[in-house]
Amino acid sequence: MSDSQTFLFDGVSVPCTGRETIAAALDRAGIRMLGTGQGDCAGRYFCGIGACQACLVSVDGARMEACLTPARSGLQVERIAPVSS
Amino acid sequence: MSGPEVLVIGGGPAGVSAALELARAGIDVTLCEQGPRLGGAIHRQPDDPTQSVHVPQSHKRRWQALSDALAGSTVKVLCRHMFAGIEATGAVLLEDRIHGRLVTRRPAALVLAMGAIERVAPVPGWQLPGVVTVGGLQVMMKSTGRAPDGDVLIAGSGPLLVALAAQMASLGNAPVAVLERSPRLVSLRVVASLLRAPAYLREAAGYLLTLVRSGTLPQRGVCVTAIAPKDGRLSVTVRDRAGRERRLLVDRVALHDGLLPNSNGTTTGQHGPFIVRAGDCREVLGGTAALADGRLGAQAVLAHLGQTAPANKGPAAIMARERQAQAALNTLFDYSGRDPAQLPDETVICRCEGRTLGQLRSMLSADDPVSAREIKLNGRFGMGSCQGRFCAEWVASFVASQRNGTPPQPSEIVGSRWPVKPVPISAFVTLPPSSPSE
Repeated sequence: MSDSQTFLFDGVSVPCTGRETIAAALDRAGIRMLGTGQGDCAGRYFCGIGACQACLVSVDGARMEACLTPARSGLQVERIAPVSS
Repeated sequence: MSGPEVLVIGGGPAGVSAALELARAGIDVTLCEQGPRLGGAIHRQPDDPTQSVHVPQSHKRRWQALSDALAGSTVKVLCRHMFAGIEATGAVLLEDRIHGRLVTRRPAALVLAMGAIERVAPVPGWQLPGVVTVGGLQVMMKSTGRAPDGDVLIAGSGPLLVALAAQMASLGNAPVAVLERSPRLVSLRVVASLLRAPAYLREAAGYLLTLVRSGTLPQRGVCVTAIAPKDGRLSVTVRDRAGRERRLLVDRVALHDGLLPNSNGTTTGQHGPFIVRAGDCREVLGGTAALADGRLGAQAVLAHLGQTAPANKGPAAIMARERQAQAALNTLFDYSGRDPAQLPDETVICRCEGRTLGQLRSMLSADDPVSAREIKLNGRFGMGSCQGRFCAEWVASFVASQRNGTPPQPSEIVGSRWPVKPVPISAFVTLPPSSPSE
C-alpha cells in the first residue's frame, strides 16, 4: 500500500487503499466478525454482492453493506447491535 | 436527448449489453449499478487498476469490448445507485448511496439485469463468520488481486468450485481441499455436447491443469455435514461416498450449490413501467448468454416503444446454444443439498435472525395447518433483511418434507413488495423523493 489511509472500526484504526471496500479492508485486517447480529448469527461477509445483507455495518451512522461500500479515510464504521433479542 | 427514458439496473454483461443496444437505437438510457464500479460479479474489476485479474483471456476480451463500447456511447452511468423497487404509482425507486437519498424515476421501460443469487444448502454452522459463498470469495479475490489468506476449504457443487480453486492456486494459495458433492465424472457425452460451446472446455481444461499442478483436484462424492468454531478457526465435518466422516480444521469455508435467478420483490402493478429481465437475473446461463440476452431484452423494449429493431437471429441462436451447454454441464453436478430430515434441529435456516430448523419443525407440528404467510409473519422465516433470498427455498422444501398436500412456493412465503432491500429511513427524508436525480 503506497497511501496510508485509515478508517475507524469500533474505534480501532483499520488501513485501507483508495478503491477497496470496507469488507476487503476488514478482511485484510483479520476482522471477520462484523457485528453482533441477531439470534446467534453474527454480522459477517458472505455473498459479496449485496444480496444477503449479512455484512451490514454502520457507516457514519447509516447502515450499509460492507461488501458494496468503498472504504475511505476518516469513515466511522461500527458494528450494528441486534434490533431484538 | 428527448424521447422516452429507459432505466437498466445492473452493470454486469447483461445490463451493459442491453444499455448499448438501446443507445444504438437512439434511446435515452441510464445504467444503474449498486457497486462502485461496473463489471458485475463475473467481470469484477481490481481495486488497483494496474493489477491484472486471473481470469480467462476470453473474459478479459469480452469486458474490454463492452467497456470500450460504453465509453463511446450515450449511455449515462450511475454507480452506487441501488434499485429499491417500484412503488404503487409506478415510480422506480433508486437509493443514491453517494448522497444518501432516494431518487424516483418514471422511465418508459425498465431492464432488470441484476444477476443471479448464489444458492447455498444449509448445514449446521453455515452462518458462522468465515463461512462464505464461493462467489463471494471469488469477487473479493478479483477485487483485491490476492488469494484469500489462511487454509480455505471449498465445498458444495458446481463449476464455480473448480474456477475459484484454480484462481486461488494461481495467486499462490491453493485451497486445502475441493469437495464436490456429485460423484459423477465428466463423460464423453457431456464433452460432446459442449463442443458447440468450446469456450467452456478450454476454460475447464485450464482450471483442471492448474489444480493437477497444485494437487487439489476435486474430491468427488464428498460433502460437508457440519461446521463448528474451534480455537478461533472452523472445524469442518466432511463425509465421503462410503459414509466415512473426518474433520478438517480451516480458516475459511466457501460453499456453493448452484445459482438461482433473482426475482425477489420486482413484480409491478398496473401503473409500472414496461419491465424485462435479462441475463442470469432471468435465466442462469452465464456471461456469454448474458450478452445475447441483454440485446434480446433491449429489442423487446424497442418493440414495446414502437421502434422496429433490425431483424437479427444472432442473439436467439446464442441463447439456444448456451442453454444446451449449461444443461449438459449441469448433469455433472448435484445441487440437491442434504435431505432436510437428516439435518439437526439446531441448524440455522434463517441466516438473518438465526431462526432454526427446530423452531420451524415445532411451528409445523401445531394442530392447525400453518399458512405460508404465517411462516413468515409468526415464524420470522423469510422476514429478515435478506428478504428470504437465502432461506425461502429451504423453508419451502422443509415444509414439503413435513406435511402432505401442496407445499408453499418460496414466493408465497416471501411475498413481493418494495423496497427489495432495506433502505435507510434517512434516504427517504434527506430530500423529497421528487427531487431531481442529477
